[in-house]
Amino acid sequence: MGAVRKIRTACRSCHGGCGVIAHVQDGKVRKVEGDPASPISHGTLCSKGLAATQLAYHPDRILYPLKKGDGGWKRVTWDEALNTVAAKFREVIAAHGAESIVIGQGTGRDYESHLYRFANLLGTPNVLTAGHMCYVSRVGATLITCGNLPVSDWSGDPRCIVMWACNPQWTNPDEHKGVDFWRAYKKGARLVVIDPRKGFLADKADLWLQLRPGTDAALALGFLNVIVAEELYDKEFVENYINGWEAFKERVRQYPLEKVAEITWVEKDLIRKAARMYATTKPASLQWGVPTEQTLNCTDCTRLLTGLMAVTGNLDAPGGNVFFVPPPVRTVSQFARHRDLPAEQRNKQLGGDRYKLASRVALITPKVAWDAILTGKPYPLKAGLLCGTNPVITRANAREAYEALKKLDFLAVIDFFLTPTAELADIFLPAGTWLEQNHVADNWKRHGYILARQKVVEIGECWQDHKIFLELGKRMGQEWWDTVEDALDYLLEPSGLTWEQFKEAGYLKGEQVYHKYREKGFSTPTGKVELYSTILEKWGHDPLPKYTEIPESPVSRPDLAAKYPYILNTGLRIPTFFHSANRMIPWLREIRPEPLVEIHPQTAQKHGIEEGDWVEIASPRGRVKQRAKLNEGIDPRVVVAEHGWWYPELKDAGHGWDRANINLLTDNSHASMDPVMGATNLRVLLCNIARAEE
Amino acid sequence: MEKTSLVIFKKDCMGCHACEIACKQEHGLGVGPRLIRVSEKSPRFIPTYCHHCTKAPCLESCPVEAIFRDARGIVLIDPGRCIGCKECVEACPFGAMQFDDAQETAVKCDLCAERLTHNQAPACSSVCPTGCIFWGSTRKLAERVVAGP
Repeated sequence: MGAVRKIRTACRSCHGGCGVIAHVQDGKVRKVEGDPASPISHGTLCSKGLAATQLAYHPDRILYPLKKGDGGWKRVTWDEALNTVAAKFREVIAAHGAESIVIGQGTGRDYESHLYRFANLLGTPNVLTAGHMCYVSRVGATLITCGNLPVSDWSGDPRCIVMWACNPQWTNPDEHKGVDFWRAYKKGARLVVIDPRKGFLADKADLWLQLRPGTDAALALGFLNVIVAEELYDKEFVENYINGWEAFKERVRQYPLEKVAEITWVEKDLIRKAARMYATTKPASLQWGVPTEQTLNCTDCTRLLTGLMAVTGNLDAPGGNVFFVPPPVRTVSQFARHRDLPAEQRNKQLGGDRYKLASRVALITPKVAWDAILTGKPYPLKAGLLCGTNPVITRANAREAYEALKKLDFLAVIDFFLTPTAELADIFLPAGTWLEQNHVADNWKRHGYILARQKVVEIGECWQDHKIFLELGKRMGQEWWDTVEDALDYLLEPSGLTWEQFKEAGYLKGEQVYHKYREKGFSTPTGKVELYSTILEKWGHDPLPKYTEIPESPVSRPDLAAKYPYILNTGLRIPTFFHSANRMIPWLREIRPEPLVEIHPQTAQKHGIEEGDWVEIASPRGRVKQRAKLNEGIDPRVVVAEHGWWYPELKDAGHGWDRANINLLTDNSHASMDPVMGATNLRVLLCNIARAEE
Repeated sequence: MEKTSLVIFKKDCMGCHACEIACKQEHGLGVGPRLIRVSEKSPRFIPTYCHHCTKAPCLESCPVEAIFRDARGIVLIDPGRCIGCKECVEACPFGAMQFDDAQETAVKCDLCAERLTHNQAPACSSVCPTGCIFWGSTRKLAERVVAGP
């Protein structure tokens, strides 16, 4: 056995960012551990990151390119695989135009710079991501409201923390990790938790608001109603920096606490108490989670929560929600060359006329892609390249996603394993894990850091995603660099560092400045926080945020509620998994071998369901099975199900994609989506439950 | 030599299971034995782990004296001597004693004795995001647990 080398890098088992020290011996990673010097994770590392060796060396991992033929998958060279993709794309472009190719990714995994560059230089405006309902939707709504994404400033010592639909220790909260929140909390901050489910934080909170799933926007309006009525707002700020304060106040007054309590199921005294605590404790920070985005209230809810930060004077204030200053490097947007996508191509973006905010942040909602493939309208998509995404499991209306991807003439997939989505492809390109890549990580985030993720090993013939886009781009005649590292030198150039020097540094942090608006205003058309949005007004939408009832709820559809009496809250996160990933990792699957659906004991009893029974969950669109877990911490009218489930151990091409996959139950009709962002409602629908046989 | 042990402040355990994977990795264990294990009883989490008891039932139950205590008070098992009878698994009041089918021997928490020698935290403690896994001098730990973290 050779000597052990320790290499410092950055994890990407979720969105990534935690510092890692990888132990390498005889060309193999033996162990990974948290890096105490990491400014992001301070030495901690989660179960997903710690299981990296079981991911990298998994026996089912695909280590060379594959091509599907009559006899199934067959190993090919990188040349053959990439030439096949390039030839097909050229053929489609010649016959139907570049817009007929859809490029897609899943959640942010640090290659959006390269993926978008490839798409823009290819000339397609049709990029499919998770951004329509996760994070980018938050970025989009804050861009039009206050010019940037406000991020919790944990190191600024907030005295009050509002954890709004977020559990930052189980899951990646974007930007900073749970450990920074925990440090701030442990300094004695007061804690308000907004969650339909009594989790670890709700149990610890000073105030826990158990709201009806999907009514976050109404609750935010309730908070604002109290703040306006009791004049708890920062008078200097609202006078000088809010656009449309009077109109906004008028809107907020339309949501008296009686009405809000009825909508949200939260007692009005509790709402009042929480609003007062947030508005009067300074500084106060509000951490939001994706459930606020995954309904048709996506944009309005984000705008209302931004409004809370703004009117209480916590915007860009130390310990509040701030605009972190990035280090001086080229942005993802510059690298991606968004400006070089010709206007005539941009105008062909699917759904671009309808979902204008999605278009503004350069993505399409999946529904418009599936429609284009299945109906040919407004024009058919002919080919696709999907990277690190499993829409058959993770997108609303999974059956439609499955049918659409199956129908696509040509599909190439970049991934580690033959997932249910990858099985539908014609070409499989094997990606390197985070242990196998050189990259300037976290550059897409807005927390003020970039991190050196450096290659620790090479495994099989796998290439890091960035190299795949670079090599494929060159085959398409696009302008790229000779090597991945040359591209990183370009990215880092404004900082004065080369990739080799940056690797040594480990990370860079932008120099933080607070209250930037006092000098420069906000980056919006009026230079103010646009609670009255001039942009939404121009687009023909209500310029003021409001609450819209979920289209499938006991309130809006009492007729349907007779047959489906429970509110199904989907997408409960599991700390060992990241969306549809990790079900094949032995250590992680041992902890959570099967999908669980949480049911209140009273409700379970009504249906004769006991802990551990298989339960059939049915919605108007489908039915799946998960195992019962009884939980007194949820409302008896609510059922909480996990997402992301498939069974890699089932070796047929479907890998059990239609057994426990909760997205067979979710809806993606246009009426169910956010009208400007196309955010799908992944969180709230009506269901019924029944005990099922084994 | 000062007695060393490990205590988990349960109120701050948030059920992330990072400690479990760190432990498996450190000890090269596959699926099966779980030297530290977190169970969920929403909204609380209950860690199961070895307390290195002063009067250790596992040690006392072992018919072949494969389980012993070192100078730091750490209860250890010698896999070479273990006959795989599982008496210790049954004797442990916490359910912390585990059996490894791969080796056909009992396995247990060794408090990451090798790491302690280098003054490194046990693997489980090193990754805990809430810092609820304390280790060190048994006497001082007791005081700390009473005071809360």
